[in-house]
Amino acid sequence: MSHRIQPFSALAVMLLAAASLWAHHNMSAIYDFNNRVAMSGTLTKFDWRNPHIELIVDAKGDKDQMETWTLEGPPPSFFRTRDIGKSDFEGAFGKPVTFEASRARDGSKSGLLRTMTLPGGKVVSACPQNC
Amino acid sequence: MPTPFRIAVVVAGAAALSAALLFAPLTGRGQTPTDEKAKAKAAAKAKQNAKNFENNAAVITFYDRQGKTVGTAGERALYEATVFSPDRTRIAVIKDDLAAENADLWVMDIATGKSTRITTSAKNEFVQSALWSPDGSQLAYVTIRSGSEGVYRKASNGEGPEELLYKNASAFMDLSDWSLDGRFLTFSKSDLSGGVLFVLPLSGQGERPAVEILRSESRIFGARFSPNSRFLAYVSNRVSEPGKNPVYVRPFDPSGGAPAAGPWQIADNSRGRLYWRRDGKEFYYLGLDRSVMAVGVGTAAAFEFGKPRVLFRPPGAVPFFISDISRDGERFLVLPPPKGPQLQQLTIFDRNGKAASKVAEPGLFAQPAFSPDGTRLVVLKNDLNTGLADIWTYEIGTGKASRVTNDALPKNSPRWTSDGKHILYVSFRGNYNGVFRKPADGTGGEELLFRYTPGAGLNLTDISPDGKFLVCASGGVILTVALTGTDPLARKAIEFAREEFDVGNGRFSPDGRFLAYVSNELDPDRNEVFVRAFDASTGMAGEGKWQLSKEGAAGMQSWRADGKEFLYRQFVEPGGADELQLMAADVAAAPTFKPGTPKALFKIPGVYRGNLGNISRDAQRLVFAMDVPADTTAR
Repeated sequence: MSHRIQPFSALAVMLLAAASLWAHHNMSAIYDFNNRVAMSGTLTKFDWRNPHIELIVDAKGDKDQMETWTLEGPPPSFFRTRDIGKSDFEGAFGKPVTFEASRARDGSKSGLLRTMTLPGGKVVSACPQNC
Repeated sequence: MPTPFRIAVVVAGAAALSAALLFAPLTGRGQTPTDEKAKAKAAAKAKQNAKNFENNAAVITFYDRQGKTVGTAGERALYEATVFSPDRTRIAVIKDDLAAENADLWVMDIATGKSTRITTSAKNEFVQSALWSPDGSQLAYVTIRSGSEGVYRKASNGEGPEELLYKNASAFMDLSDWSLDGRFLTFSKSDLSGGVLFVLPLSGQGERPAVEILRSESRIFGARFSPNSRFLAYVSNRVSEPGKNPVYVRPFDPSGGAPAAGPWQIADNSRGRLYWRRDGKEFYYLGLDRSVMAVGVGTAAAFEFGKPRVLFRPPGAVPFFISDISRDGERFLVLPPPKGPQLQQLTIFDRNGKAASKVAEPGLFAQPAFSPDGTRLVVLKNDLNTGLADIWTYEIGTGKASRVTNDALPKNSPRWTSDGKHILYVSFRGNYNGVFRKPADGTGGEELLFRYTPGAGLNLTDISPDGKFLVCASGGVILTVALTGTDPLARKAIEFAREEFDVGNGRFSPDGRFLAYVSNELDPDRNEVFVRAFDASTGMAGEGKWQLSKEGAAGMQSWRADGKEFLYRQFVEPGGADELQLMAADVAAAPTFKPGTPKALFKIPGVYRGNLGNISRDAQRLVFAMDVPADTTAR
């Protein structure tokens, strides 16, 4: 845990909060926070590394076609402080999950993870980092 | 910059420490090593929390319109927000709870100091932005509930349920005011692409739809309704113009329609914090030098405004920031740090830990570093009058200063090139962090060497001895950059180490064959120093990896110039909270790397965790920006 930064301006605080939106890159430039997608599918792959995790989910689209979704999440340390570990996702590998994500602005099948419900009902939230 | 991790999570402080020390059971039969480890960690955490509380907990203090202290309220706490009630008899306070790792809203009675809890948050839920209803009977605030950020409302006596007013599609909204007619809240959302100003009508039930009032390529912060709700004041700034935070006022149309007049710029720069006096005749904001600025205004008909004037400059060499202003414009709330205002004295220590000399007059200094020949320092210096930081160099023998940069742009990580002729640093321009180079004497222009991913944080941690590579840290990843070609935009970051744990602070060995870095791979709460081979043909890690530190590392990793010794900082107690010591280990680089056993050299007096100094290349001296009381020193 860091020491508190010595008193700084209100504006700086606000800028700090805003800056955290693009902790690694400019999330709002890539993803549209007002364009959500909620789907169910199978977790087929994940990359549990900094600067942000990546999840691959095979899900059925609105016409029952199979789609492969790539979801970007916060860094592993974000989950660690929320008592969620890599093992939670390893346990979900090949099993059904549901997710909500902010869609990529380029229209691709990718999104910024907001929440994922793992098999067994555990809900993983990526907020505030990704919401 | 770390994740949006709350800088100071929570409280209980001394109580937590006492509890941890008094009631921690002795190790006995039936306890496993895992139990003991968990308990040791909990005790260390409690100790860190207590230290955090000791260093940062403040007592709410009031100034009058002349900046004279006229009273205090309540007990010491880690306050995140403090807001006067409309009648100035109570304060809504958001307090960090370090032990629970959350922040909650309370209401404090100024006369008695008695507090009433308003919210009860779970771990990692942090209440923000408290607002009073005009009659003082309710509070609105932002918090995360069940993984989503929203605006909530609750009675200011703490009774009854909290009501969700608005669910935010994203996060980090800036909820900033409740109109005096009680009908609207206002908030803004900003990012690199600009800002949007909203109002939230409070009529109706359930989640309310927000109305977009203004969309801009500039970011928008701190909007406040005029008392008659006819105008909105706000701060707006452009990413491309850092350090410029003008204050605007525009007519408020609840339907979101384009105003027929305005906006009017009433101040060309500020540090935010906007307030209208209740009678609508005076407007306040914080000036760059922390003064309280006042502007005469009229809102009865068309908007009228006068020239900003200094109402008062808070006392002291380093004035405290005003945290809130009462609606009647008579009381100004500050949170004085427990040690009082501090400046920093650049202080050089010898290898035995003795303060050997001081450089320059005290100022707001950070990140000092010795030149390769040990005769100069480079340092970030913050200007009290503007709030802006620039890079300076100082001759250690004479104190002669040279200004290297002179602009409003954010910057960090000043580093010397191995020939001592240039300073490299990171600066944020437009949407990008980049690494720039400038002559160390401040002459000549700057040169862009590398530009990173839009919006991503970046720290420059070293330059290879031959000047051909940079090593940087971003998002828990170590990146190297080959300075090949002539087009800086064509240079790409190479992942030296990208793991599921955090790595950073890569430092080249003097022969350039190895990179030392810190990693929390063994324990998420503790860094250790590791060394890996550096493959100059790829910029990536080569064969071999060695652990150098054994009991944790707390920054300042440094190779001696001959490559035969490695130094770093460590807490005296593993997982400690205050006392730090300098460690040194003999190392060998040929035929392959061989780490020696680290030994403690000396305790570093008066240096806290976040105060990172630097070690000279001959490993004989250290430099720190040491805190000194500001009011007894020259500025």
